[in-house]
Amino acid sequence: MTISRRGVMRGGLAAGLGLAGGGLTGLPGIRSLAFAADASAGSSSPGAPAGTLVVVFLRGGADMLALVAPADDPDYRAARTPELRVMAEGARAGIRLEQTLAPALDFRLHPDAAPLAELYAGHQLAIVHAAGLTDGTRSHFVAQDLMERGIAREEDLARTGTGWVARWLSEGEEGRVPAIGTASAPAASLAGMGGALAVPDLRGGLAPPGGPQAAAVLAALYRQGGGAYERAARAALDGLATVDGRLPREAGGKVAAYDAEGGAVYEETEAGRALQTVARVLKMDIGLRAACVDVGGWDTHENQQGRFSNAVGQLSRAIAAFHADTRRYDRDLTVVVMSEFGRRLRGNRSQGTDHGHGGAMMVLGGRVAGGRMLGRWPGLASHQLDRGVDLAVTTDYRTVLSELIGPSAARSFPGFQGAPLGVLQG
Amino acid sequence: MGGAVPNPSSVLPAVIALNRLAFGPRPADLEAASFQPDRPDSQDWLAHWLDRQLSPPDPSSGDHDDPEVERHLAAAKLRIRYPAGDGWEAVDEDRPLACLGQPIETLWPLAANRPAVAGPERQRPRLEVAAATLIRAVHSRWQLREVLVDFWHNHFNVNAAGEPAVAAALPVYDRAVIRRHALGNFRAFLEAVATSSAMQVYLNNRSSRAGSANENYARELFELHTLGSGAYLNALYNRWRDVPGALRGSPDGYIDQDVYEAARAFTGWTLEDGAGLGGDTKLPVTGRFTYVEGWHDGYQKRVLGREFDPFQSPMADGHRVLDLVADHPATARHVCTALCRRLVADDPPAGLVALAARVWTENRSKPDQIARVVRAIALSPDFAQTRAAKVKRPLELVASFARGAGIDLAATNPLLGELDGSGQRLFGWPAPTGHPDRMEAWLGASAMRRRWGLLLGLAENRWETGAIDLAVRFPAPLTAAAAVDRWQGILQGGEPEPATTAAILSGMGLAADALLAPGTKAGDDRLRRVAAFVAMAPRFNQR
Repeated sequence: MTISRRGVMRGGLAAGLGLAGGGLTGLPGIRSLAFAADASAGSSSPGAPAGTLVVVFLRGGADMLALVAPADDPDYRAARTPELRVMAEGARAGIRLEQTLAPALDFRLHPDAAPLAELYAGHQLAIVHAAGLTDGTRSHFVAQDLMERGIAREEDLARTGTGWVARWLSEGEEGRVPAIGTASAPAASLAGMGGALAVPDLRGGLAPPGGPQAAAVLAALYRQGGGAYERAARAALDGLATVDGRLPREAGGKVAAYDAEGGAVYEETEAGRALQTVARVLKMDIGLRAACVDVGGWDTHENQQGRFSNAVGQLSRAIAAFHADTRRYDRDLTVVVMSEFGRRLRGNRSQGTDHGHGGAMMVLGGRVAGGRMLGRWPGLASHQLDRGVDLAVTTDYRTVLSELIGPSAARSFPGFQGAPLGVLQG
Repeated sequence: MGGAVPNPSSVLPAVIALNRLAFGPRPADLEAASFQPDRPDSQDWLAHWLDRQLSPPDPSSGDHDDPEVERHLAAAKLRIRYPAGDGWEAVDEDRPLACLGQPIETLWPLAANRPAVAGPERQRPRLEVAAATLIRAVHSRWQLREVLVDFWHNHFNVNAAGEPAVAAALPVYDRAVIRRHALGNFRAFLEAVATSSAMQVYLNNRSSRAGSANENYARELFELHTLGSGAYLNALYNRWRDVPGALRGSPDGYIDQDVYEAARAFTGWTLEDGAGLGGDTKLPVTGRFTYVEGWHDGYQKRVLGREFDPFQSPMADGHRVLDLVADHPATARHVCTALCRRLVADDPPAGLVALAARVWTENRSKPDQIARVVRAIALSPDFAQTRAAKVKRPLELVASFARGAGIDLAATNPLLGELDGSGQRLFGWPAPTGHPDRMEAWLGASAMRRRWGLLLGLAENRWETGAIDLAVRFPAPLTAAAAVDRWQGILQGGEPEPATTAAILSGMGLAADALLAPGTKAGDDRLRRVAAFVAMAPRFNQR
């Protein structure tokens, strides 16, 4: 593996900060040095320590205690039926993780997350447990709102109209399509960023309907006008044309099927389709620095076992496919997986779980110091739980994201100070 | 965020009103002699229009007195096709909308999958209700009711594209819950929703049991259906005495403890879905609502600062929760904000919301509470003064284009597919929030492209939805400029915008005085495209 000059400089910088024990945001002098380092590298690659960032948001409050859990913890076993647990033994036993977070506990990954276990064993994937929002909301929509805007207090919602990714990329923007979302509605974390493109699917191409004549009319109709609709139309025409023009086509003009690298196979699932779209745009070399991917189906109040297993399997296989497909980006690409909250430790009588608090985040990529569980494990005894019922949050979600985007964190997470956990290699 | 219309004075008040209170104007609406939108006292026609619209016949008895809708529903056919499978033959046919009028027990076998049927059969009810919704949006004479039906379907959202049981329950939900109460009384509406098969399945209350209740329904009841997240005082979590007003029995908002307690109150509210009752007794399998006393958590509770005595009569705990949330001042604010957002602006004026909330509260025991609120909103000065504060969602875009262009729209599978792809999959939004009602959500790049595709596809009849009758509007040859201007007049009334005309002519490479000959292929092709292009201009997309 070759290590770029830029990587060395960043590595040194991060290590220095780690030794000093200070938060990245508390050192303005260092921050400007980091930008200087990027500029001197003269690379077209993005300036964040983690490179291009793919944020996979699990909508609905994913039950991280069913994904990665201390399978032998008596409190865990007492609170949940086997259907809702990661098991230590049996045909559906979880996959044991080597870890030093809580060495006395047998942390295991859900059996259907085998592709993630492989990435963990290969030191590509790190897990930050007991991570999440410090605000105590158990509302999906308030919690998602807070996280996507990069804040932690509900009273800040009214005066924070932009998303954290948008603020991160608001300066020093490179490339023509710096950010995409793979949902039909623009991602809330990209709110306020004109150049962000919402593109769920590329397979039909993105040219406006109606051929060149319609394209000419649309361009003329929206040439002027400062309203939100006109601005959105202009941005759409520009962004769509940029991406569409780079889609390989067959002789007849049809968009060619995507040819993934590394033997990757994307399934026809929400996660599979979305991550394939991200990979395609990434490889167009149009300056992609962030992608926001939504994956739904995690609000498992009822009959959790089957739904959760399916969801975990689909997610894990999609992430593994994306990783294989984008290996050549190595240290310039990072995936982070998060959700608005975790779920109640104790199951309900519908064989499901209700809204909880602490969750977990997963970080994957060539710069990640993987094969480790990070954070601080608070324990699952009643007195260790948040409100006596839910996994406590010991790592603010912004701690992880701040480390990934480096000095820009001051813009994305105003007022937040958190020492990096060391998710990335020093 | 507000997009300004270049020349607001050129937009007629009637057009604005009918874009908000209806799925857009039809040319006849604007031409009607009784309809004098330019008069300074233009509130008169609106008041009369509202009088008619707010007293439609009972929708639970069908589309009474609406022959155009009846004709379209009777004629509608949707394709269904699937290969032979385990227990069924291959099917490939155009089938009428046969699920629509059925009772729940007729459709519930699709939920239970007994006998087993192919996937498309289990999804069929959603497709049929979506087709009927499109038909009614375009053709119904009870336009305001259709607008409110759309609003309430989103307010009390269920996802029929997920679980087949929700799809099976959707026709009844649409007919006997949403349509029936759309203009009625909110408390009665809440109970109809709470006891509906669709909501019982979607938010899991049917499986909630004493011991560890399922909180899904109770949480969204507070957060989305009634008080709203603005009244969620989560920092107080379990300190109910600290909630302002709680000790007087009128807390300002709710806390998690209220959610937990309300969830207990609704235990036992369930469906006849064949669940075991102990021993070898089981519930019947009809899909109908029922109450199982043995599953109810009968002990004392405290909800919104009120003590509930233990062991109340059947369903009394749940009824009392519904009374409390329906009467709460935060509910008036939350629901009226949502109504004003739907009917007026993404960020409605505070004074308008306050006015609506006052009317809401004053009429809370009236059978036509919601109709009165809507009337107050529509006749308010804020309604008349607010301009272009909404972007049409795809359903509104499709329906208003069909209405304006005079397409005798048929709902076809490809059109429904296009609508799904536009981001507005009807009755298929996964989260209980319903489709977003702010413009940002509809302005993504792919979504914009889909909008343009919808307009062009309708204008050119790509999906067999019905052709534009050009002969009526363009009886004689005319210049290209005149054609663009005429389409602007037809689709949005008022004066044509010169900038729009110029943009369309230049984009099409047409000289202003180029002659278009209706009845010829070239002329008709161009006239159809002009219609679509006029509708792509900013003005037609806002309301």
